[in-house]
Amino acid sequence: MIEVKNLTFSYGKDKQVLHGLNFTVGDGEIFGFLGPNGSGKSTTQKILTGILKGHGGKVSLFGQDIATAHTQDFFQKIGVLFEFPYLYANLSAIDNLKYFSSFYPSGQLRDIEEVLEELEFQPDFLRKPVSSCSKGMRQRVSMARVLVSNPKLLFLDEPTSGLDPSGAVLFRRIIEKERRKGTTVFLTTHNMLDADLLCDRVAFISSGNIAVLDTPKKLKEKNGSQRVTISYLNQGKREEKTIETPELEAGIPFPHDEIISIHSEEPTLEDMFIQYTGRGLS
Amino acid sequence: MWKHFCSLFKKDCQMMISGKFFLLALGSLLLYTLFINFGYVKFMKAELYHVYLYDPQGTQRQVSGMVFPVTSLEELDKSLATDTTGVGIDASSGTPNIILYYGSEKVDRHRADYARSLLHPDNGYTAKIVGTNTPELKQRKEISCELLFIEIVAVGFLGIASVLFKEKQMGVIRVHAVLPLKRSLFILSKIAVFLLSDLLFAALMTICNVGFTDAIPILPAILVQTAILSLIMALAGFGCTMLLNDFKQFSLVYLVIAIFAATPVFLAANTSIKMKWIGWHPFYQIYMGLKNAYFGTPVTAPIYYIGSACGIAALFLMIQAAFHKETGKEE
Repeated sequence: MIEVKNLTFSYGKDKQVLHGLNFTVGDGEIFGFLGPNGSGKSTTQKILTGILKGHGGKVSLFGQDIATAHTQDFFQKIGVLFEFPYLYANLSAIDNLKYFSSFYPSGQLRDIEEVLEELEFQPDFLRKPVSSCSKGMRQRVSMARVLVSNPKLLFLDEPTSGLDPSGAVLFRRIIEKERRKGTTVFLTTHNMLDADLLCDRVAFISSGNIAVLDTPKKLKEKNGSQRVTISYLNQGKREEKTIETPELEAGIPFPHDEIISIHSEEPTLEDMFIQYTGRGLS
Repeated sequence: MWKHFCSLFKKDCQMMISGKFFLLALGSLLLYTLFINFGYVKFMKAELYHVYLYDPQGTQRQVSGMVFPVTSLEELDKSLATDTTGVGIDASSGTPNIILYYGSEKVDRHRADYARSLLHPDNGYTAKIVGTNTPELKQRKEISCELLFIEIVAVGFLGIASVLFKEKQMGVIRVHAVLPLKRSLFILSKIAVFLLSDLLFAALMTICNVGFTDAIPILPAILVQTAILSLIMALAGFGCTMLLNDFKQFSLVYLVIAIFAATPVFLAANTSIKMKWIGWHPFYQIYMGLKNAYFGTPVTAPIYYIGSACGIAALFLMIQAAFHKETGKEE
């Protein structure tokens, strides 16, 4: 679906922000693009969506070189969710969606109210100006704008930002559903939980370079320690011990009265990010 | 493409309605019409100078009926004391001497010549009459032209900026960059809304203040000039909105345009101030084009229309580039 070879980009003469990125995204894959602010992830997404021109290297989408790909036909096949809910504040949710969907062929469109219902948009606000909606509700309208055109390739920038935990769970469920339909998802995020739960593969980008690219599971396994930390009570006293996992095969290898908890020492995706890039995600 | 344009056009109209732009334009039209019909035309209706003649010996034989005879020098002084724009003629010596309150050199000469002409009403009146405008119609056309120019340059320019800054703040301009839509249509629909609004304003303004029968023959030429000015101002407003960060910065630019662009045009066109370079000022050319259209002598020089078309095309291309830059900006 997406093929990027040696992608470079500079803002002006001296400000190179991308230094030769290489990656591919397969059909129906959820690909996570993770990086701190200013790392080049937004620039990459803008190049892929045709907003920024003048890049170096080779980029192809839908098997077509990007230089010729950004036609109306291309934009009919993609959906782009921005980090902030960009909507006409004076128009209602329905009017916003009617307006934005009017640029797509009618045969391609989903029913607006059905999509909003799937996104658990409060029906009372359907015909009220978007300015009267909460940030979470506006983010739902934005997501509906993207989904209503049935895109084959989704670019999602921080999709769960501004949502409460149940909203974030709902969005993840919807993204999963899109993947099952065969939609390819290019997910740009800071949110490690989203990346961990959703992505088939993730790329860590830092200072315009991809530091590592793999599945979240493999990344954690490759770098995880084979240890567990056990909290227990022994003669009325609470104690904690870290042992190698194989030692557990023969049972708990030390005297104890009661086991309180056992935690594996598996690293988080964020630990991996810091390890590979030397930077945090904030 | 037509369907896309209609969607954009409908949405732009909604934005202008919610921004109360049409209401503002209607309010301006009402205010200007009231001002012209109940204010300007009335207080600009200057009466002719009254001429008072003291001629005890009856030396002046062919005096016009518009001259008021007085019986003494005291009465002449008294008349001029109450009617300070009046002109007195003391012909007691046999030779008419002009007496008047000082105004300005030009006006005083004019008043004196006028007074003398009334002593010989049948002589030397050989001026050829051109044009059919009555003094009131001339005043109506002049003020309608000035107010229409102000409306488009100031109010229309401000209107497009206020609508676009709203869209910029809402971030929706960026969404349009990823829609299956030709970006130039986004610009064209906005320009079209303002153009139609300005054309309608110009037509109503002319009909309401010049009069229906006098307005109809000159209306096509007025609409052509209005279209040129409207396109330039809407494109300039669009460009400023794309290049400037917020409405505060725009207010400064607006002031600069008002002071440095429009003021010299009005000074050169309506006062005796002479500016040699004013012929190079594009707004002056357009203002004079509009004024000539009101007086039934529209500009016919092809260079004027070629220059306007080139200016509009150049502005459009610059705006396309600025619009592209705006959509690629960091959030």
